[in-house]
Amino acid sequence: MEEPRNYIESGILEQYVLDQLSDQEKVKVEEMAEKFPEIKQEIADIEFFLEKYATHHAVSPSNNLEDKILVKLREANITTSHLPKKEAHIVKLNPNEDQSKIRNLRIMLAASIALLIPACIALYSAHNELGLAKDQIASLSLDKEKFTSTVSQITKDNSYLNQLLEMKQDPNWKTVNLASTKSDAQSKMTVYWHTTGKQVMMDNSKMSLPANDSTHQYQLWALVNGKPVDLGVFDVKPDTTQILIAMKDISSANAFAVSLEKRGGNVTPTGDQILLMGGV
Amino acid sequence: MAPTKKISLPEEELVRKLKSKDTTAIEALYNMYSAALLGIISRIIQHDEIAEDLLQETFIRIWNSSDSYDNSKGRLFTWMMNIARNISIDKLRSKDFRNANKNQGIENNVDFIDAQREITFNADTLGLKDMVTALKPEFKIVLDMVYFKGYTHVEAAEELELPLGTVKTRIRMAIIELRKHFN
Repeated sequence: MEEPRNYIESGILEQYVLDQLSDQEKVKVEEMAEKFPEIKQEIADIEFFLEKYATHHAVSPSNNLEDKILVKLREANITTSHLPKKEAHIVKLNPNEDQSKIRNLRIMLAASIALLIPACIALYSAHNELGLAKDQIASLSLDKEKFTSTVSQITKDNSYLNQLLEMKQDPNWKTVNLASTKSDAQSKMTVYWHTTGKQVMMDNSKMSLPANDSTHQYQLWALVNGKPVDLGVFDVKPDTTQILIAMKDISSANAFAVSLEKRGGNVTPTGDQILLMGGV
Repeated sequence: MAPTKKISLPEEELVRKLKSKDTTAIEALYNMYSAALLGIISRIIQHDEIAEDLLQETFIRIWNSSDSYDNSKGRLFTWMMNIARNISIDKLRSKDFRNANKNQGIENNVDFIDAQREITFNADTLGLKDMVTALKPEFKIVLDMVYFKGYTHVEAAEELELPLGTVKTRIRMAIIELRKHFN
């Protein structure tokens, strides 16, 4: 029985009890202890005497330490009995949380994109509609201008027509129809003359004269006791809208005549240029 | 002094209760071993408050890792003692402790052993004088370095400038002397 004794005396059992051996070495010692009862006994002795040694070096803890430890243990007990579940939960929950965060972020991203697309479409169509609206506004304002000018024209026309109506109802207004002096011409004109008020008005709506060129103008004359009196010049344009044109006043007249003169008119009518004539 | 036989039976019951998470086991263990464990801890960590914290930690670890105790491989106390020593050595070697106790680093532990002995005399006088005189100083210092200071055999050999074989032998001799003393 040399082997166990040498083994015991090597001091490895003390190392074993003092937890100074590697796991492999421990296993070896345990194998030896199983094999040799005296080794097992020696280990038990070492343990026992080291415990005695510790007991003799004992230091009493503070009085309240036991309670503190017991409280801690009861907490730990609750924790240990619940910890595995809780930990499993926490371990599971964290990745889940991350995953759900990621999932939420993905959903949010998808939602953002989903919202962004219609927003872009809406913006684009709004831009288009705005352009359309601008065009419409431009065309409407053009229409409005046209309308305004039409209205002002109609207003003007209306005032002339009213004036005409008054003139017709007023017996002092004489209507003088001027006819062409040339047998082949279709020219004609109407002049209104207020016998007491002396005013002379030409009716454009009833005028039929060829348009004059830029170097000539028509001139209206009153024939007073055989003598022509200038009543002013006028132009005939195809786009003339004015109905009534006021000419110079005349207190008395036997007839009215129109001649084509040089621009600005003449003092006396050029004889062969008298185109229209009408007696009062 | 409680004889071995009387402890052995309750120990089986203690282990059974401990493994079945019965807190009365901890109460019994505390009453029986807290002072012995604190004796070990407070020699490794010479700071009363921290040592008590570590004792608390030791009991919590005893409680939580009771499954790992195999009574066929050794005494319950040996298992608890090694838990206490490991916790204390971890603390001793931790940065925060070393920073807080620079003058009490592992290099200086030997100097503290004697001083600690003085405290031990005061703290626990029962049978101590006998034991101290029973152990030859050269054996005691090696045993204390390993048992109470957390030195490995190799570290103790380096610290004491002794061959590793001599350290092992001296620890063995210390145990033999303890055996003589307690018997």
